[in-house]
Amino acid sequence: MAPSQPAHVNLSPAELSFLRSTLSQNPPIRLDHTKGPKDFRSMRAEYDVLPGANGSARIALEDGTEALVGVKAEVEKSQLKPVERLEILSFAGGDVDMDMDMDGAGNDDESSGKGQNSWIEMSVEIPGYRDDDSLPVFLASMLTESLLASGELKDRLYINRRFHWKLYVDILLLSPPLSYPLALLSMTTHLALLTTRLPALKSEKDEDPLFDDDWDASVNLYPKQKGKKKTGQSLERPPVIVLAMAVGSNIIFDPCKEELAVADAVLAIACAKGKSSSSGARLVSLRTIDPPSHLTPPGVPNSMNSATGGVAPTTSAEALTQRELLATSGVWTPPRGGMKRGLISEVVKMVVQSGGIADEVIDALEAIEVG
Amino acid sequence: MEYFSLKRSTAADQGQSNLSSKVYVRSTKSGKVQKIVREVYLRQDIPCSSNLCRACLEIAPTDYSQKVSPFVLSDTPAGSKKFPNGQYLVPDTNAFLTGMDLFELETAFHDVIVLQTVLEEVKNRSLPLYHRLIALTKNEGKRFYVFFNEFRQETFVTRDSGESINDRNDRAVRKAVQWYNQHIAAAVAAKSPLSKRIPSVAMITDDRDNLRKAKADGIPALTLSDFVSGLENADELLDMISAAQEQREVRSKKAEMFYSEHYSISKMMTGVKAGTLHQGIFNVSPYNYLEGSVHVPAFDKSLLILGRENSNRAVSGDVVVVEILPKDLWKTPSTKIIEEETVNKNDNAEADDGENVTSERERKALQEEVKRVHGQTAEGRPQPTARVVGIIKRNWRQYVGHIDRDSVRSTSKSSRQQQTVFLVPMDKRIPKIRIKTRQAGELLGQRVLATIDSWDRDSRYPVGHFVRSLGELESKGAETEALLLEWDVQYKPFPKTVLDCLPAEGHDWKVPASTDDPGWKNRKDLRDLLVCSIDPPGCVDIDDALHATKLPNGNFHVGVHIADVSHFVKPNNAMDKEASQRGTTVYLVDKRIDMLPMLLGTDLCSLKPYVERYAFSVLWEITPDADIVSANFTKSVIRSREAFSYEQAQIRIDDKSQQDDLTNGMRTLLMLSKKLKQKRMDAGALNLASPEVKVQTESETSDPVDVQTKRLLDTNSLVEEFMLLANISVAGKNYEAFPQTALLRRHAAPPKTNFEELGNQLKVKRGLELRTDSSKALADSLDKCVDANEPFFNTLVRIMATRCMMSAEYFSAGTQAFPEFRHYGLASEIYTHFTSPIRRYADLEAHRQLAAAIDYETLDPSLQVKSKLEGVCKNINVRHRNAQMAGRASIEYYVGQALKGKDIVEEGFIMKIFSNGFVVFVPRFGIESLIRLRDLATPEPDAEFDAENYVLNVKGEVNRSVELFEKVQVRITDEIEESTGKRKVKLTLV
Repeated sequence: MAPSQPAHVNLSPAELSFLRSTLSQNPPIRLDHTKGPKDFRSMRAEYDVLPGANGSARIALEDGTEALVGVKAEVEKSQLKPVERLEILSFAGGDVDMDMDMDGAGNDDESSGKGQNSWIEMSVEIPGYRDDDSLPVFLASMLTESLLASGELKDRLYINRRFHWKLYVDILLLSPPLSYPLALLSMTTHLALLTTRLPALKSEKDEDPLFDDDWDASVNLYPKQKGKKKTGQSLERPPVIVLAMAVGSNIIFDPCKEELAVADAVLAIACAKGKSSSSGARLVSLRTIDPPSHLTPPGVPNSMNSATGGVAPTTSAEALTQRELLATSGVWTPPRGGMKRGLISEVVKMVVQSGGIADEVIDALEAIEVG
Repeated sequence: MEYFSLKRSTAADQGQSNLSSKVYVRSTKSGKVQKIVREVYLRQDIPCSSNLCRACLEIAPTDYSQKVSPFVLSDTPAGSKKFPNGQYLVPDTNAFLTGMDLFELETAFHDVIVLQTVLEEVKNRSLPLYHRLIALTKNEGKRFYVFFNEFRQETFVTRDSGESINDRNDRAVRKAVQWYNQHIAAAVAAKSPLSKRIPSVAMITDDRDNLRKAKADGIPALTLSDFVSGLENADELLDMISAAQEQREVRSKKAEMFYSEHYSISKMMTGVKAGTLHQGIFNVSPYNYLEGSVHVPAFDKSLLILGRENSNRAVSGDVVVVEILPKDLWKTPSTKIIEEETVNKNDNAEADDGENVTSERERKALQEEVKRVHGQTAEGRPQPTARVVGIIKRNWRQYVGHIDRDSVRSTSKSSRQQQTVFLVPMDKRIPKIRIKTRQAGELLGQRVLATIDSWDRDSRYPVGHFVRSLGELESKGAETEALLLEWDVQYKPFPKTVLDCLPAEGHDWKVPASTDDPGWKNRKDLRDLLVCSIDPPGCVDIDDALHATKLPNGNFHVGVHIADVSHFVKPNNAMDKEASQRGTTVYLVDKRIDMLPMLLGTDLCSLKPYVERYAFSVLWEITPDADIVSANFTKSVIRSREAFSYEQAQIRIDDKSQQDDLTNGMRTLLMLSKKLKQKRMDAGALNLASPEVKVQTESETSDPVDVQTKRLLDTNSLVEEFMLLANISVAGKNYEAFPQTALLRRHAAPPKTNFEELGNQLKVKRGLELRTDSSKALADSLDKCVDANEPFFNTLVRIMATRCMMSAEYFSAGTQAFPEFRHYGLASEIYTHFTSPIRRYADLEAHRQLAAAIDYETLDPSLQVKSKLEGVCKNINVRHRNAQMAGRASIEYYVGQALKGKDIVEEGFIMKIFSNGFVVFVPRFGIESLIRLRDLATPEPDAEFDAENYVLNVKGEVNRSVELFEKVQVRITDEIEESTGKRKVKLTLV
């Protein structure tokens, strides 16, 4: 969907063709030949970099792309439906059972399903871009989508029927977008949310919220696991988006800029680890991304080049058929996009399976915070 | 890949140890919750402030004149048994909270180091105690030093993970004490290497854990009571430790609770915002200690709070949150007198096992109340009642009272055993206070000052502690001090900083002879005017003087000259601040507590006769019909020709043989004043009355010998009229110049409901109608309230009407709309106080504003800021009321003394009637007193109370009926009132 306009790769059709053929080998040879198809580029991460924010993180990739995310929480008054308002007023009178739950009895988690999408606001800032340019807008909407899709985060923001937290996630790319920064921003946001703390609530029920003024008493937005042994009961952690691309039948994760330039298709896969699934991750959302390879200039085969004795096609229809025939000849032709169903399901499987990519990434990010 | 971090704190250890940060959560009023990160820059130049230390003297920061502020702690601090080489004390927070009265002692507790950590904690826990602590640190003699340990690198501690704030603060205190000890030892060693006398720095704490840890680290530490035990008269001092602490430990095992729990702050706030709970100030009825009322903004009438359970540990004056009770619990306000000491006479202070919140007797009293209410029909509409659910702010102060004799187990003076006794406060609205003391025997029969420390759910009465004894009950000194304390009158001598503001010449100060002197700038020379002053006899602080001369055009030139106090008291200096605190001079029968130092009040400002004085003059041209042609304001110099008393002035005016210009001027003034008064009355000014009496005292001993009602002469009203005129003129001028910040005085029209009862009483008893739609109507109908047979009846009604009025108040012009400026009693559009700047702070402010309004000088910024002015108004309103109350209490005491041992039969009038008693007013002495049914005969006779006709039919032997407004003969004797220990006049029916 999102056109990744910045990735003007200065590679010649011959170089593109070479790169593509190495990537489609089995096993593929990546641009950084030391890495396998599932390997991520190395990165530096730290958290709590912004003392004034509720949570923050910074991740720098080895190619120099660097992102900073700050999370700020504010108490906001909830918009009440008329029915609820009546009920709350009668609560204040002190004679109504206070844990009345509209959704009926047996719901032990008071806040579940009460979160609203408007409680999370995200802004993405990329140097050199206006905030209404398509890249930051698309990135923000994809990141928001993944955060909201899991449903759990917004429920955590529920305080009581009258108040909720409003979360402002400010994402800042510190460097120019050297490669498509979605995965980087997502991981940084993940780390920031994981380390976000909210002041501890002291008031009860539907009272005006009152908080403990001791910051050390504040609680994590994503409560930590207690004891490593009970992994089965691991609590939900924020979703993370990984980028995968397909070249022929090969699947390559975390592609760099040059690799993207020869991708057949690019997928953004958002996953979360929930308490519901005991192992592996849960797919939250899936998007295809318009690969920059579409914009690369095609190579001109000798047969179509009059300078080398070929015959230039006279009509565009003729050119098209000729190109079709050339697809496997080794002359660079921008891929036409599209992805086979089988391939998609293979990617998804590789990501969400127990011990898969998502597990790896999420555990690695948590290890930063714990370590 | 090169690694760098954005974080500063992790890198802090590398060469940035002077930087730390503090993180906390701040909740703002608007409901925002913010994480706040404060960076703390640690310094090494915060001095220890001990005179033993030379090193700190060199590094200490200097002020603009390159001087180090003088060091506080003595180089030879007092020692004790445990620390023979002397000690500096470092109390922790709880030591201050529980022992503030101890630290304020003059005789002990010198050289105290107040740590910043502790100071901040005290501030968070109790603001009043914090202010007292700050006052202590400013008291040079006490040598209290605030050490900013959180900013000094060596004493700063970071909070460990998992450590509670309290533990961290305790550790900070220990760390500071440790550092101080090392520092002082090093300082002494550097000064004289052989010296053995190294003072210890000792921590004072009652926290066992803290003590244990201090011991482990080798830090000198001891408990407050251990330290006090080592001092002289330890028994008395130990009584002064707050009882709140021990109480908790001893009682924790008992589960019985007498009162319901208070709501959490957030619950109360939510309720108040939603309008289901209400916030207001809790007031207890002076006649019935079980009945309180809370005025809340949501309703016109106050909410009733009946019984101890419902008042739920609120003490009169507290800011409380109440919840309205269901309608079937609504009651009418009581018509019965219930006094604590008669109902709960036999409580045992020591044992509280068998205690109920409502004792059997109390319950009975309430039951009767309910019966009566239910028996009533039309007149007794039940009023909404409420229940206290929480307390926002305690307004506990120090209370004067005496020890209840019955609660003392052993009265032996030698016994040093600690016992719990009741202190019965002088103020009947305050409950008995339970006090632990080792000196019960000595305190019996004394006026005692005590405070309330806590009131837990499991205690029927609040728990407090002894502060000090004022002296024997009934002795003049103790009683005077008691009433000054009760009314919060600042009576200590003026501090040196205030006296430093006085002119250096002292009594020799004179108006400069040369008119070129800056003091003469813009001042009119009015020395040739024939000015005189008329005041009560013996008056020394003469605020005002007058003159009148005839002009060629037939009009009169009239001037009112007011002492120019603002010339001597400049805004914002120490004297001005003290005066604004005091607000007013307080007049007691035998004593005057001045707002300004004597030198100014009775000499330099006072418009004494025969000498030149600075004045602020208001000059009018007035027609013979007393219409004002023009008004002028100017600073001036005058020379008063004579200081008359009212009587002297009257005699001189009446003496036809006196035809000099001065006397004729006074006659003109008198003539004009009568016309002015008539005009005022026509406009609807009220002629109100209050029972004013004067106590005659023997000149030497100032023992009272006789009581007289004040006589009013024409000259009284002469002065009064012109003062009113001056005030009104000035008010107009100031308002014109400063429409936002002019300091004015208003008297709100009383709400109609205030007069309902009086109107009804007059209608029922005398068939008279009281019209209250305007002040004019009220004035007229009051004039008609006469009883041909009883000349005093009119005055009686006026006294009662006065009590229905609102009290007048100071305000700044910007806070009210113009129609609200009105002075109801004087029927004036606008009014201020201008004419008594020696004894009222409001007048002084008005002087400053007027001086600026006539471009004499620029206005001080403090008078231009609305919020500041509002603060001043609020304070002087309170002070003004307190001064009046203190004055009345003083007269009451002296009347009691004058009647001591006497037995007189006088006539009195019934003012108020209850179902079990009535109030009689005796005009001769200006006293009103309660006569209870049980005073009439023993056993208490039965009586039938007809509330609709205000008649009480007493049966039994007495067999007579008493009705409202009835004239009765009463026998006046004196007795010591058991509840307050005050000598009070006792009345019985004859």
